[in-house]
Amino acid sequence: MESDLQVKLAVYRHFAETGQAPAPEDIAERVGSDERSVVDAYGRLSALRMLVLEEDGSSIRMASPFSGVPTQHVVESDGVRYFANCAWDALGVLAALRRPGTVHSRCEGSGEPLNLEVGVDGPGPSEWLFYCLVPAARWWDDIVFT
Amino acid sequence: MLFFRSEELVRKWCETHGHPMRPLAGMDQLWALATTWYSTRLQENSRRPQPDEMREIFAGFGLDGDFWDPRSDSFG
Repeated sequence: MESDLQVKLAVYRHFAETGQAPAPEDIAERVGSDERSVVDAYGRLSALRMLVLEEDGSSIRMASPFSGVPTQHVVESDGVRYFANCAWDALGVLAALRRPGTVHSRCEGSGEPLNLEVGVDGPGPSEWLFYCLVPAARWWDDIVFT
Repeated sequence: MLFFRSEELVRKWCETHGHPMRPLAGMDQLWALATTWYSTRLQENSRRPQPDEMREIFAGFGLDGDFWDPRSDSFG
């Protein structure tokens, strides 16, 4: 539905501008709709795996690469602080914003902090590694765990 | 999906937690994945890779094999 596309864009753009998950009333105001219609659209977008909702059906847990809840993967860009769902999404936030920034995270094995400067063309040379436990075929079995 | 400082730290972490070792990716490969998935996310024409094309995309970035194939049945 056209209105679902507008809701999806409004959600992502709210995250991009604020670093925070929007409330349904925020999106209703952006798209000129009402909260009930927005929550209905959330449900359809969730079914398409475009959003991951909390159990209340109206709070956004994930609008990848953005996280609606605090995580260990923090991205700073242009004075805005974002939470990412995972290591992949941490770089994904800056890819989506198309802005330089810094990824703050940690080595899961040692706890050593990661402070990775990322330009619009990506990070500079780095020896850090990306590890994914769950095979691609199982990612959506439990996307929050993945 | 996590960051690690070295392959040795990945191995120790996997042993400690009883997890299998998996293919690792470098930051250049991770950036390639990030831009492929998310560079149009804020635009109306946003499009994410579909399952039937993901294996080829991963392979193009040097990430080969069933682990990166969403249609693989190799992992039960």
